[in-house]
Amino acid sequence: MSRGSGIRRTAVVLVLVAAVLVVVLPLVMMARTIVTEGSGRFGEIFTSPGLGEAVRNTFVLAVAVTALAVPVGTALALALRSPTLPGRAFWRVAVLLPVLVPDFVLGYSWLRAYGRSGFTDDLFGLQWAGVQGPLGVVVVVTVNAVPLAFLVTAVGLAARAEPALERAARASGAGSTTVLRTVTLPLLRPAIATASVLVFVLTLGTFAIPLVMGSPAGFTTVTTRIYANLARSSEPLAFIEAVALALMLVLIAFLIVAPADSVLGPRLRVTRVASTDPGGIAGSRRADRWTATVIGGYLVLAVGLPLLALVATALTRAVGLPPTPANWTLANFHAVMNFRNGEALVRSLVLAATAATVLVVLGACVAALERSRSGRGVATLVTLTIVLPGSTLAVGLIITYGRWIGGTLTIILLAYIAKLWAFAHRPISGALDRLPPDELHASRVSGAGPWVALRTVVLPPLTPALLAAWLVCFVTALHEVTMSSLLYGPGSETLAVVVLNSQELGRVGVTSALSVLLTLLLVLPAVAFWVLMRRLRQRHLVSGVPGEVSHVG
Amino acid sequence: MSAEVLEVRGLSVAYDGKAALRDVNLTVAAGEVLALLGPSGSGKSTLLHTVAGFQDPQAGEVWLNGRCVASSTSAEPPERRELAVVFQNYALWPHLSALDTVAYPARRRGAGRAEARREAVEILTRLHIAHLADRHPAQLSGGEQQRVGLARALARHGSLYLFDEPTAHLDTHVRGVFLEELAARQRDSGAAALYATHDAEEALGLADRIALLADGAVVQVGSPDQVYSEPVDLWAARLTGPASVLRLTAEDGPVLVRPEWASLGGDRSAQVHDVWFRGPHSDYLLDTDHGRVLVRAPGPPAHRRGEQVTWTLRRSWPLVSVEPRRSGHGQVPSNVAGPE
Repeated sequence: MSRGSGIRRTAVVLVLVAAVLVVVLPLVMMARTIVTEGSGRFGEIFTSPGLGEAVRNTFVLAVAVTALAVPVGTALALALRSPTLPGRAFWRVAVLLPVLVPDFVLGYSWLRAYGRSGFTDDLFGLQWAGVQGPLGVVVVVTVNAVPLAFLVTAVGLAARAEPALERAARASGAGSTTVLRTVTLPLLRPAIATASVLVFVLTLGTFAIPLVMGSPAGFTTVTTRIYANLARSSEPLAFIEAVALALMLVLIAFLIVAPADSVLGPRLRVTRVASTDPGGIAGSRRADRWTATVIGGYLVLAVGLPLLALVATALTRAVGLPPTPANWTLANFHAVMNFRNGEALVRSLVLAATAATVLVVLGACVAALERSRSGRGVATLVTLTIVLPGSTLAVGLIITYGRWIGGTLTIILLAYIAKLWAFAHRPISGALDRLPPDELHASRVSGAGPWVALRTVVLPPLTPALLAAWLVCFVTALHEVTMSSLLYGPGSETLAVVVLNSQELGRVGVTSALSVLLTLLLVLPAVAFWVLMRRLRQRHLVSGVPGEVSHVG
Repeated sequence: MSAEVLEVRGLSVAYDGKAALRDVNLTVAAGEVLALLGPSGSGKSTLLHTVAGFQDPQAGEVWLNGRCVASSTSAEPPERRELAVVFQNYALWPHLSALDTVAYPARRRGAGRAEARREAVEILTRLHIAHLADRHPAQLSGGEQQRVGLARALARHGSLYLFDEPTAHLDTHVRGVFLEELAARQRDSGAAALYATHDAEEALGLADRIALLADGAVVQVGSPDQVYSEPVDLWAARLTGPASVLRLTAEDGPVLVRPEWASLGGDRSAQVHDVWFRGPHSDYLLDTDHGRVLVRAPGPPAHRRGEQVTWTLRRSWPLVSVEPRRSGHGQVPSNVAGPE
């Protein structure tokens, strides 16, 4: 029996070539650079002024954000399970919406909302001086990380804490808080631990928010220091230091993630299909209303008001004027509608679409390989690339390919592929897991060859997952700045880089207008996708996709 | 004081605006086992969940031991209703050992860890699973999980036991222990059980009374014999076992015939349409002048398909209606006499 070996061989070659080109080789080259050019100068590097502070800041930031974002995300996941919560479906989407706002736009909009001569300052004379500085960075990185913590714990809840387990505890005489303490939280422990590891490691590599909100107040992190070092790359020592810092980031990330993955991985891998049980136990109406108010208030303060302030700034004639109709103008939007920005927009769209397409193919290849024992190692490796700090990847790519393609769109494309591979792989792999192997067997014994079977019985049910993966990659690539800002050259600025540069130049009105446009650019495809997914799901329900049908006995 | 442990009055429950229960009235007396029999989707689980407090009613009331625990305006939380539940898939907590699972209800009553465990060991011993005390659910077989689930329910000392379609039937030993427990509780506090199932044989064999449920409404309540021999309509008859419908005379209405109400040999003639060997007996589907009838006779098949035979009708029950009961009962056994 051939067992589709042709497909497998093609997939293996594709995946290996891509992994070596974009991940392995850059890391090796970085290590080599350190050894050949840095040896003997370590003393000089590690004592350079400000380095210790940047490293310390990075750790404090990661610890603080983890300590805040994981409890908030867990609380949201628990609150959004109550079947009687008014507007539950709406809240479930709403708490994920901040994902669509690029992190540097979120940081900038917080400054516009709560900072000096910001929205609340102009209207009510209220301002929060600390928003520009370490405290502001911690809060906004937390807001940015909450959706991830929410997603991981919500998935853990759906997969491990069956509603029946909590009902059993209630029927055994436990009140709702006792159930939380004795049943729900113990069951959630692996998911909470995973969320903590992910948030911690991703915060180590966070770049744009510390740059936008921290740098003006003198708050540096490892990532912003790498950025500053590369800006003055004519000094060889600064470059070596950047490489050393980038390697340090990735080493720490792997030291934390590798053991966590081996401990938590098996516990999180559940074969059980998530139940269709609406879940939870009817809560009291007052508690539900209170929960909805708190969630709504959080979203308004953390995301709604800042974005409103951003729009208001973009529409106001000059900084410091109150955002009242008398001061409204479209001048800022006219100012950004120029040829150079248009070029950047087209560049960003083409780049993101190309990256998303390549990534879906690669992600599907890994997902397919994962089903054989030998391929599982590759899959684990790809999953681990999620924690590769963007700064590290960018530095590695510069060292490896900078000589030939430095400053071009190609090197940015390679960076996106390396960074977003896991984003494409996860949804596809999840969908493939839900595909019963017998469906493929049935097609083969009915006379289909491997490629025909792939096209006729594997790809159709995977369509929603492939679309989702494509869109996640597209959106993320569109608002990526950590790597783009290190890798771009003349004629290869992406729109996100243009926004970031404009922020650094302090052009408040223009930056706000650009940020609004960039955010809209992300929201539109997301909304289109949501509508499309609903259509697809309805169509599949009509034709009776197994596992979608719920029945209450 | 009324002897009723549970009284359900005019209960209506809706899921997302769709009625799951409609004006249900039921009582369960102390020491009684009431089986809820109905196809899936008939509202058995919803009724149990509403009695347990996992779901609030839109209308009607639930009374436990003379106390109103749920109405359209107020509802006691499940932990204050003093009832025990055996769940569909047992709902054992994956992070707790069998011992701690069974000790859990006692802990919630305020017992210390040692005391709760002592009581748990006692219950586990009664169910012959004391040796499984340290195991977690993943290390237990289906039957063992069932016993642990029942042990946890027994540890609750509830006055009402709810069984939500336990996936495997209670095995004879477990059933014996449970019924003994119920009898013992009846003497001192008056315990009762509500047992949801879609399996007629289990309901007939286990319950003191049976309530037939269809589309969220109670169709018939009665003793197992009543429900089996005197069903309110053809739908109810088919739910509880094989049923043939005959028209004996032109004037009279249709009558129900159970396979054991007729026998082979006698004065009526018929042709064998089909025959199935069932082990202890054989089922013959006969074409008669009055319609097709299923007849059960001991031993292996004595006649072949197409053969002419004689038969006797010993008993029948007049059916009010042979019209199908409302729409949407896909799960009801539809063939009058097909293989079970």
